[in-house]
Amino acid sequence: MMTAREEGYRSGLVDLGAGQISREIFVNDEIYRQELERLFARVWLFVGHESQIPNPGDFFVSGMGEESVILCRDRAGKAHVFLNSCRHRGMKVCRYDEGNTPVFTCPYHGWSYGTDGKLVGVPYFREAYHETLDKSQWGLIEVPQLCVYKGTVWACWDPEAPSFFEYLGDFRPFLDLSLDSWDGGEGGTEILGGIQKWLIPCNWKFPAENFCGDSYHNISHRSVDLVGIGPSGSGRRDLQERMMARRLHVAFYDRGHQTGVYLFPKDQPMPPSYQHSPVVAEYFAHCEAERRKKRGEWARLIGSPGEIFPTTALHPRQPRTIAVWHPRGPHKTEVWRWYMVDAAAPPEVKDFLRDYYIRYSGPGGMTEQDDMENWNYAHAASRGTIARRHPYSYEQGLGFEVDHYEWQGLRIPGTVTDITEAKSSEHNLRNLYRRWAEFMEADSWAELATWRRAEQAAAE
Amino acid sequence: MSEPVNIRPLAPGTRIVLEGGAVAEIVSNPADGVWVFARYLSAPDDPGRVGQEEMIFAQDIIEIREAT
Repeated sequence: MMTAREEGYRSGLVDLGAGQISREIFVNDEIYRQELERLFARVWLFVGHESQIPNPGDFFVSGMGEESVILCRDRAGKAHVFLNSCRHRGMKVCRYDEGNTPVFTCPYHGWSYGTDGKLVGVPYFREAYHETLDKSQWGLIEVPQLCVYKGTVWACWDPEAPSFFEYLGDFRPFLDLSLDSWDGGEGGTEILGGIQKWLIPCNWKFPAENFCGDSYHNISHRSVDLVGIGPSGSGRRDLQERMMARRLHVAFYDRGHQTGVYLFPKDQPMPPSYQHSPVVAEYFAHCEAERRKKRGEWARLIGSPGEIFPTTALHPRQPRTIAVWHPRGPHKTEVWRWYMVDAAAPPEVKDFLRDYYIRYSGPGGMTEQDDMENWNYAHAASRGTIARRHPYSYEQGLGFEVDHYEWQGLRIPGTVTDITEAKSSEHNLRNLYRRWAEFMEADSWAELATWRRAEQAAAE
Repeated sequence: MSEPVNIRPLAPGTRIVLEGGAVAEIVSNPADGVWVFARYLSAPDDPGRVGQEEMIFAQDIIEIREAT
């Protein structure tokens, strides 16, 4: 039997009608190479948070796809994202993780760039270039699209891509569940401490699908639940609030974003949480009361893991984090995880959350270790000649999703699977791969922005 | 050829001698070991540069002039 390993992507590898996906899309070198061009050069990616670059000259070296980029604030206070590569011979112009600088100087031949990206220093400009080099044409390569939203910084290499807000579509209020203050105030979050970064020997889509709302793998975390690392001393999170809510998987077919969410009954008070610290418990009780006043019916929603297509993972509640799955070849992923808190939270709250967050997430976190072990061995066991002939099953809940979901007066946008009784669904995972396949097949945003056609038709 | 000058620790106010005999005073130092920002105090080859502030390449700096 011929394998597709040298062929690259082809239609049919993602068969959502049957609920099957070929292992090739995870392990095929050619498909990975195609992803870098067709996916990572066209999508919006999370690159950092404004609180990481508060002052002029501040920088944070981030990544977009495989490539290193510099998020920095220029002398005038404007945020930029540049490719971290000298225009002369390509050397990295910044080899620190973060800091403050007036210039980015290439250590190879000495070309130097201002924090606005302009080429400001060229060795022997008079003597060797005879002052004829047009410096204005040789600045750092800047992303054509950048968006700062509630402190988070997003960038896109494709000038033809829709704006970030159009890219988000109706998913925006679900992103807000991660970015707004606990009391429902607009924005107001900051990054707590440094960024955790580590490598996992698996394709980036393993963690991506896991964070789309894969609740089926909860059995993996059984040992953590038994240990009881949660903020009230049992489980790994406060579970009481979840027991009384509807559990939903929400997907946006035309955008590729998806999330889990908990929908509270109308007029139901929130059960106590963070019981291991009276100060923290009181803070969150106060915030929750305020959130309900500010957000009304929408405050009945509390967040659960989700993903902005393709590689930005949201973990909005316990713990509150954002992760990015940086591809490092078809068989390796570098995870970067940002930990978030209310900027205005008392120090005791931030300290408590820091301890809880790192107990839960990251390479040393007990929950994330379980996940990494699964992705590591699943990937390795899928690379073999025999293994890759056999697709994975994504049939769970196929056909049970609904549009116009509403419960007790609150309408939820997107396509929804209610998993309260079903326990689990692969609805959100299928949505990730639906959009992934569209990107692999579409040559332009005219094909990808399907919602524009629908809007145009409605207008006519 | 003169001995290489380590420019990284040079503080603002330090005077440096450049190839060609120009003298400049450091205004700021990004400490990248490659460039300093300096103002020309004298420039025998091009007197019009006196008073101008420019980025000075490390390999053009041949000497640190002690304050007199």
